[in-house]
Amino acid sequence: MITTYPRAIRGTRTLPYLAGASVLVGAIASFMALVWAPADAVQGDVQRIMYVHVPAAWLAYLAFVVVFLASVAWLWGHSPLADAVAVASAEIGVMFTGLAIVLGSIWAKPTWGVWWTWEPRLVTTAVMFSMYAGYLLLRSLSSDFERRATRAAVVGAIAVLNVPIVHLSVTWMNALHQLPSVLRPGPPALDGRMYATLLVAVAAFTLLYASLLVARVGIERRRRSDAGRSEG
Amino acid sequence: MRLRRAWLVAERDLRGERAQPDGLAAAVGLTAILVFVESLLVGPATAAATPAVACGLLWIALTLGAILAITRSFDRELEDDALESVLTLPGGADALYLGKVLAATLLLTLVSLAGTALTVLLLDLEVSLPGHLGLVTLGGALAIPPTVTLYVAISLRLRARALVVPLLAVPALVPQLIAASAGAAAAITGDAGGSFAWCALLVATALVSAIAGLTIGPAAIE
Repeated sequence: MITTYPRAIRGTRTLPYLAGASVLVGAIASFMALVWAPADAVQGDVQRIMYVHVPAAWLAYLAFVVVFLASVAWLWGHSPLADAVAVASAEIGVMFTGLAIVLGSIWAKPTWGVWWTWEPRLVTTAVMFSMYAGYLLLRSLSSDFERRATRAAVVGAIAVLNVPIVHLSVTWMNALHQLPSVLRPGPPALDGRMYATLLVAVAAFTLLYASLLVARVGIERRRRSDAGRSEG
Repeated sequence: MRLRRAWLVAERDLRGERAQPDGLAAAVGLTAILVFVESLLVGPATAAATPAVACGLLWIALTLGAILAITRSFDRELEDDALESVLTLPGGADALYLGKVLAATLLLTLVSLAGTALTVLLLDLEVSLPGHLGLVTLGGALAIPPTVTLYVAISLRLRARALVVPLLAVPALVPQLIAASAGAAAAITGDAGGSFAWCALLVATALVSAIAGLTIGPAAIE
């Protein structure tokens, strides 16, 4: 079965363009983040982790909103494509939430003096991570396609509530984590070059997300058609 | 009509528990054992200094007890082949979900009152506001079942259900657990306003999770 996956990926026409664009924009973002953008006046170079930490967190939000939309689409019309998009997006979202937590932890050690602290943004992100990990576990324990997709869609539709909770936790509660710098009322609270670098990094990560999503949906659809053939 | 069906489901569940109280016995037994061991580990001195620790451990024990009782309630339906007949009725899945939530709330009220009394007794806690503590306990018993019932219903007929339900339900219950623990600690230390505020949050989470469960949960019941 494994031998069929690369063929499935190659079969997706848009994938090479998306992957190429994400590599190109990623290279530009790396140059901007490491060379062009100034070092932070207080934190120094350690602040540059922001150019991967924030896009990873943004991508997690995006991925989980896509899971929600795909889950609703499955419950509405039972389209196999919706289920494939949901599982693909959930896997990418979990991966990038984990990455955001690890990168945040690496940044926190020199800045806050600890790897982890019981702070609202960190706790709500960890809860979101565990809920979507549970979503993936739920999917892995059933081989009946229809039932698995319906169960997962219900969880995927509910778990999206975590996204606004994580984002707004720093404004609702007394938080150590800094307040939103970009997604907030008023202009961004960032230096112009830092803001431009962050936007390019977010674009690179979004293209990476799109590439991974297209590739993973291709794999899922291929798996499904293989399973259908073997059943037939 | 659906409310009436939901009440019938709850009534049948409670009658089943009265005839053979295995769900209630399992929930009370597990909660009692956990509270006993936790009280042994924490000790009266620590509990008196930081009542939030004892309350947090109590509500984790009650959550696990609720998961046991609700899982047992659905297992009884499966063993009796009663699920299909309820689900074939119009609005059957809604009635089943709501009925299970109602029955579980009543059972958890008993379990949580017993668990709270046992914690107070074993840790020799001086409760400044016993009425408020009772209110928070009722709020917690109201807030936990809608979420647990939803995840038990989703995992019905799933292999490794015992693994999936706690993994899905416990993270979703974080706000309820924080509110119940902090509210109980506030009642013990004599903070009336704090315990009321946490109790209001418990009622709000109960409403939100019940509405979410009723909106989307029945789609997954099969």
